[in-house]
Amino acid sequence: MRTGIAAALLIGLLGAQDATRSVWDGVYSEEQAGRGRGLYNQHCASCHADTLTGGEMSPPLAGGEFLSNWNGLTLGELFERIRTTMPQNKAGKLSREANADITAYILSVNKFPAGKTELPHSAEFLKEIRIESEKK
Amino acid sequence: MFRMTPVITGTVLMALCASAQTRSKDGEWPSYAADLAGTRYRPLDQINASNFSKLEVAWRFKTDSIGNRPEYKLEGTPLMVNGVVYTTAGSRRAAIALDAVTGELLWVHGEHEGERGAAAPRQLSGRGLAYWTDGKQERILYVTPGYRLICLDAKTGQPVPSFGKNGVVDLKLDDDQTILPDLTTGEIGLQSAPVVAKDTIIIGAAFREGMTPKSMRNNKGYVRGFDVKTGKRLWIFHTIPMKNEPGYNTWLNGSAEYTGNTGVWTQITVDEQLGLVYLPVESPTGDYYGGHRPGNNLYGESLVCVDLKTGQMKWYYQLVHHPLWDMDISSAPILADINVNGRAIKAVAQPSKQGFLYVFDRVSGKPVWPIEERAVEQGSVPGEWYSPTQPFPTKPPAYSRNGVLTDDLIDFTPAMRDAALTIVAKYHIGPVFTPPVESKIDGPLATLTLGTASGGTNWPGASYDPERHIVYAYACNACLTPIGLARPPKALSDMDFVAGTAGQEVRNRTGPGEGAGADSPMPSRAPAAGRGGRGGAAPAAAGGFGGLSVQGLPLIKPPYGTISAINLDKGEIVWQIAHGDTPDAIRNNPALKGRDIPRTGQTGYNVGTLITKSLVIAGEGQRTTTPEHPPGALLRAYDKATGKDAGAVFMPAPVSGSPMTYMVNGKQYIIVAVSGGNYSGEYIAFTLPAAEEHGQSSQ
Repeated sequence: MRTGIAAALLIGLLGAQDATRSVWDGVYSEEQAGRGRGLYNQHCASCHADTLTGGEMSPPLAGGEFLSNWNGLTLGELFERIRTTMPQNKAGKLSREANADITAYILSVNKFPAGKTELPHSAEFLKEIRIESEKK
Repeated sequence: MFRMTPVITGTVLMALCASAQTRSKDGEWPSYAADLAGTRYRPLDQINASNFSKLEVAWRFKTDSIGNRPEYKLEGTPLMVNGVVYTTAGSRRAAIALDAVTGELLWVHGEHEGERGAAAPRQLSGRGLAYWTDGKQERILYVTPGYRLICLDAKTGQPVPSFGKNGVVDLKLDDDQTILPDLTTGEIGLQSAPVVAKDTIIIGAAFREGMTPKSMRNNKGYVRGFDVKTGKRLWIFHTIPMKNEPGYNTWLNGSAEYTGNTGVWTQITVDEQLGLVYLPVESPTGDYYGGHRPGNNLYGESLVCVDLKTGQMKWYYQLVHHPLWDMDISSAPILADINVNGRAIKAVAQPSKQGFLYVFDRVSGKPVWPIEERAVEQGSVPGEWYSPTQPFPTKPPAYSRNGVLTDDLIDFTPAMRDAALTIVAKYHIGPVFTPPVESKIDGPLATLTLGTASGGTNWPGASYDPERHIVYAYACNACLTPIGLARPPKALSDMDFVAGTAGQEVRNRTGPGEGAGADSPMPSRAPAAGRGGRGGAAPAAAGGFGGLSVQGLPLIKPPYGTISAINLDKGEIVWQIAHGDTPDAIRNNPALKGRDIPRTGQTGYNVGTLITKSLVIAGEGQRTTTPEHPPGALLRAYDKATGKDAGAVFMPAPVSGSPMTYMVNGKQYIIVAVSGGNYSGEYIAFTLPAAEEHGQSSQ
């Protein structure tokens, strides 16, 4: 039993170290971001603005301040923050798929490249993708 | 409807008794801003430049369980009296008491307000609470999201039955107005900490964000005084004058009758000796459009001095006539006994979003240095009324940017500057008090402003060193706010104009916390699948990065955030520094590689300063990842004489509340609230390692 836990931990650690993918690797599709745009405008824009620049007291979701605040963290953490607390007056209302689409839209506005596959909608999978403000 | 949740253990009372033996007044922090003068100053020096970087976490208090969901906007400044830390916390906005040495939870008191809490304009944990004692009884006072004043026994956390009705005063009642539409949903609340002075509790009022009001009509934000012993209302001050009161005629066409807001949502300051209260009043209904309230609109955006015993007005000074820029007076006025050209003056200094520090004789209300009425640009928004002049302080100089000029644009490279000029061409720009425009698709889209909604010094306020007569003020120096106006659909608002951008749907703009408190419907688990949204083909927003940045970099050049030291005897800025590490997006930007860019500071409105015997202490409001530390932010110290770095300590998340300090059992502590991004609210207490504190003199 103990060995099993240790092995699982080891795999977990390796997994984290193995998180070589980043937001620069085409982790979402254009079509997904397009869907995300519609969802964003419907559910997010009233606080974070159409342009993702944030409001008087709502943080921006695009640009330098956003990228600095999330640089070094993972998409899993961003996704979980969105999934569990947003939209703030109806937290948890959106499906995982919808939250993944919105995350894809945020990536697109921040000019991370689109790819061929869609962003997964599992926090565990998304934790394997690092947010890097600049391409390494 | 209401349920109270006190938790108390036998050890609590022992802790309260034990720590009483080592009390030192300078070592306590008995009100939100350390004292009623709004100084955020304590003359402690055990933590100093020689050891600041060695600070260790003494304890942490995670606030997730104080409410039914975590909070990411923890803004409280705790109090510390007699070995006990008191503060508000969590999505429930409960009052809590913690052991000041260990952080152990001594008691918690939360109010379940149901629909009334869910409808509240200002939810979440609020900014703190007030402490009162007559030497025998000790009381804690705070205001719930649903606008009820709660009085607790500080020792037990139990409501005081003799105060109001079983420890509660319903603030929606006895307010010289009927709160509409009803007591449950009527818009009025408060997120700041109450103030208690000479047995009088003073309570202001707050409303929803005012960019897109539903109506030109709203409830009014009157200020009231209450007896701390009984909860009885002692006085009221009408921030919008009634028909027979002076100032009514500054609301043309009878607009005082229906205009609302104009509350005091930030901290109130009191001179107990003079018996005077200083009220920083916010904007009237409609942050950016005043066509339904022609006239100067007293006492909107005015500093008002009233009598502590009666609430009667002694003097006022309107800082912005006919407010159009959301220049709420957003922070505590600061009391300062200064000496100008050999003349002793009891002064009050008011920091502001617009970067002016307004300094008055606090007895007479006369400006210490002349404040000149100067002609300002008149706008052309249909139906708007413009004040031909606005007040400009001649001293001290503005300590942060309050207008947008081409000189302020990014200039790391000529290409970046050209790109910035191209963007700005679509907007109207100008100095402070450049009026908003009606948004037009061919331009201008908006007036680009600095020093308005979130600029300059916001609710955390400034600090004051009474020994050196210096105000220390953090300011956002690049919080860019485009103010464009658009005609709303009738279903959204009955106003002629609200904030909006041509070519985009005019939407209700909400503020943080609305619908997010513990009384709001619980997060339901999401549907298993499905998207339910409208699609859209083109993914990128116009211009990318939100359209107001150049290659992901801020449109405005550094410093993005500053701390200024302002000498009040001379009315001069002594030093000014960039506060906060250079954001990652700038430090790592390929276009800037090889350039030596000095520390830029950071944008943000939520940074407060703490002043000790030798230091200015302030946390960073943004997260960075550097070779020196993992993702996180620094709590920084500066030499208060020079502004030079005097140490830093790592925090896992940016600050979201202002730091405070205290001394217990010969040991100095600093507490700061952190939260944001992926990190939920937490109070962190820092202190020196055991070896370090020995040999240091304690104050």
